[in-house]
Amino acid sequence: MARADSVKDDAGDRSDHGHDRDRDRDHDRHHHDHEDHEDHGGDIMKIPGAKDSIDEATFEQILEMDDDEDEREFSKSIVYDFFAQAESTFEKMDSNLEKKDLKTLSELGHFLKGSSATLGLSKVKDSCEKIQNYGQKKDDKGEKDITEEEALKKLETTIKQTKQEFHDVEKVLRKFYNDEQ
Amino acid sequence: MESQSQGSSSSDFVRKLYKMLENPTDENVVRWGNDGDSFVVLENEKFTKHILPKHFKHSNFASFVRQLNKYDFHKVRHNNEENGQSPYGPGAWEFKHPDFKMNNKDALDNIRRKAPAPRKTNQPNEEMIIPAQQMDMMSNQLVATQAQLHALESRYNELSIHHSMLLQEVIGLQKTVVNHEHVMQNVMTFLHNVDAQRRRDSRLGNPFPPNGNQTQNGNVDGAQNQSNPSTEDDIPASPLQHASKLLSETNADVMLNPRNLEHMNEITMRMNGTLTTPPPDLIRSVRPASRGPPSAGSSANSLRLGDIDNLVYPVGQTNGIDPMYSEHINNIPYSMPPKAADSTNTQIQETRKKSAQVDPGWIRQPQILLVEDDPTCRRIGSKFLYAFHCSIDSALDGLEAVNKMNAGSKYDLVLMDIIMPNLDGVSACHLIRQFDNTPIIAMTSNIRSDDISMYFQHGMNDVLPKPFTKEGLLHMLEKHLAHLKKPISHMDGGMVAPQPLASTRQVLKEESPAKSPATASWNSPNPVPGVSPVATGMSEEYLHAVHANPAAYTVQGVPGMPQGNVPYNTSPQMPMPGHAQQQAGHRRQISDISGGENMNPAKRQQMYANAPLQPGPLNTMQRPR
Repeated sequence: MARADSVKDDAGDRSDHGHDRDRDRDHDRHHHDHEDHEDHGGDIMKIPGAKDSIDEATFEQILEMDDDEDEREFSKSIVYDFFAQAESTFEKMDSNLEKKDLKTLSELGHFLKGSSATLGLSKVKDSCEKIQNYGQKKDDKGEKDITEEEALKKLETTIKQTKQEFHDVEKVLRKFYNDEQ
Repeated sequence: MESQSQGSSSSDFVRKLYKMLENPTDENVVRWGNDGDSFVVLENEKFTKHILPKHFKHSNFASFVRQLNKYDFHKVRHNNEENGQSPYGPGAWEFKHPDFKMNNKDALDNIRRKAPAPRKTNQPNEEMIIPAQQMDMMSNQLVATQAQLHALESRYNELSIHHSMLLQEVIGLQKTVVNHEHVMQNVMTFLHNVDAQRRRDSRLGNPFPPNGNQTQNGNVDGAQNQSNPSTEDDIPASPLQHASKLLSETNADVMLNPRNLEHMNEITMRMNGTLTTPPPDLIRSVRPASRGPPSAGSSANSLRLGDIDNLVYPVGQTNGIDPMYSEHINNIPYSMPPKAADSTNTQIQETRKKSAQVDPGWIRQPQILLVEDDPTCRRIGSKFLYAFHCSIDSALDGLEAVNKMNAGSKYDLVLMDIIMPNLDGVSACHLIRQFDNTPIIAMTSNIRSDDISMYFQHGMNDVLPKPFTKEGLLHMLEKHLAHLKKPISHMDGGMVAPQPLASTRQVLKEESPAKSPATASWNSPNPVPGVSPVATGMSEEYLHAVHANPAAYTVQGVPGMPQGNVPYNTSPQMPMPGHAQQQAGHRRQISDISGGENMNPAKRQQMYANAPLQPGPLNTMQRPR
């Protein structure tokens, strides 16, 4: 990509983490964004798409814990572990959606909500909360009861949406960590 | 080689040799010596080429000579004789053996292989014996390890049984409480009815005292009413007595449950009691013996049978794991990885110079138990806690947390996720509260007022909303670990004083920390409308207790201070600190005696490496400092 001017362009960070399975799917959508993107200078919020999907304060406090601002070993490993965690959670969501196991879906929503919230991935977190609520046959706010059919319908779209949001923010994060083959 | 095949039949070689000399056709090559007490090889080359193959199936003269040497034949030298020459010619080889004589075939039986040779053939056998002994040792150790595994397995099963018993007990208790409440309600309605009736009666009764009451309540009541107005209060006394009777009945029910718990406790105590007594003696008597075999060699065979038990202990104890010590469960290697990782983190931590580091100024490092099933939250939480100079232990679910605390691990603070597999945080807290008063902070995104009041009802001390922030976490630590703070706090006020902000947090819904991460900590002493009074009461009471008696928390782990440690904790682990010391003493002693300090450096290292991170008995020993 057009980031030859990056100060953090060291080869050490360019290890493949094997999470590019789904990445190409929405690749084209944001492609031009990245094309005219200037160096973010270590500020993740300057990466297009970051502002509405990442909560700066929350993510920033994790970045603060990095020993080395160039390597970002700690935050990077947490974020990449989260990628794996999210992918496997989505797989479980898909299979439980097939099984119509609302309870498990709610639990999965809760689980991913916790970690995405901790990382400050606000969009994903909000969607996970919806999944949690729908799984309990409640509306998105968790207030009113809905029927099982409604819940399953909403779950299907919301899980799809959550995946999309996740992949969007995943791209932003990978860009931040200079890992975007 | 051939020597062995020939030598194996007593003197086959000698007989062949004799037979060879009986043959006169080869006389010019090999023959008896002139005196008949030796034989001479006259022509070496011919002998090797033609005679050796005929009789010994090989044509190697050196081999033949070696063979002769083995049977103690000696080459006859003639250096001492006048001319220094052999009478049979310069190239002749004369060999001699006291029992190898012409015309004395019987004496041949006396010719045996020399002593060194048999020694050589036996030596390999001895070498074989030592590996066999080692094999025995190995297999014994395997058996021992299996025994340990079985012991652990049964211990685990037993613990799970206890756990389920505990849970049932708790469920039972909850049911009792519910029943209790029902009874109370019944009593109250009953009282209300009676009271209402009585008031009606007294209104009716006052104008017509004797008759009205007689019809309604009977003679006695009426009479009392009339004669002494103060006895009016005595009338509801019988329903009240009834109520208190009902109450005492339900109380009796409640009493049954602790008894069960005590019974269970007794079982564990008895079991641990019997198991913990023998090892110290065994260590002394058994250790040297079982250490012996590798060097003692010959005596090892006697050890082999029936002494497997002896091996169990050394194997266990050099490992720091003895199936007989339940507390050694902390030393099991496979449970270590998270701790090991933690320890490396701490090391990294120490070498750091990060601005993210905040030293709240502890008088000693607070021990924090982080109970969290989500790895992301756990890692970030741990990282923050490290940054706040805390020592962290983590549990993956409520069950692990309860087990850790029940096993005697002492913490200054527990951060508890609520929704977790196996055992949720509220239940875990409820169970922990049966034997421990360590402050527990709910760490959750479920922070509706009814959730929060439930947390407090089950013994939680505070709530840290998720996603937690560094500031929120620090605030929690400073609030609940005030007794560990150095007298003068050098913290900047911005972090310590979220109280005014807290009032803006009255909406109990989750809030993204996006807008105000610094305020995201929940402040129970500033009750938000709708929060149960229990909540504020508890934490205020707690804070008060801390301020009034800061020592209370520091001494908590010391045995003989059973304050709040009611039934369960008194069981196996209460006498542990002393016991552990004693044991450590044994260990050192043994290894000194056997010089075994270096025998197992890896295991030893592991044992000590655990120590600082293992918040169990060691920490309780550190406490009084």
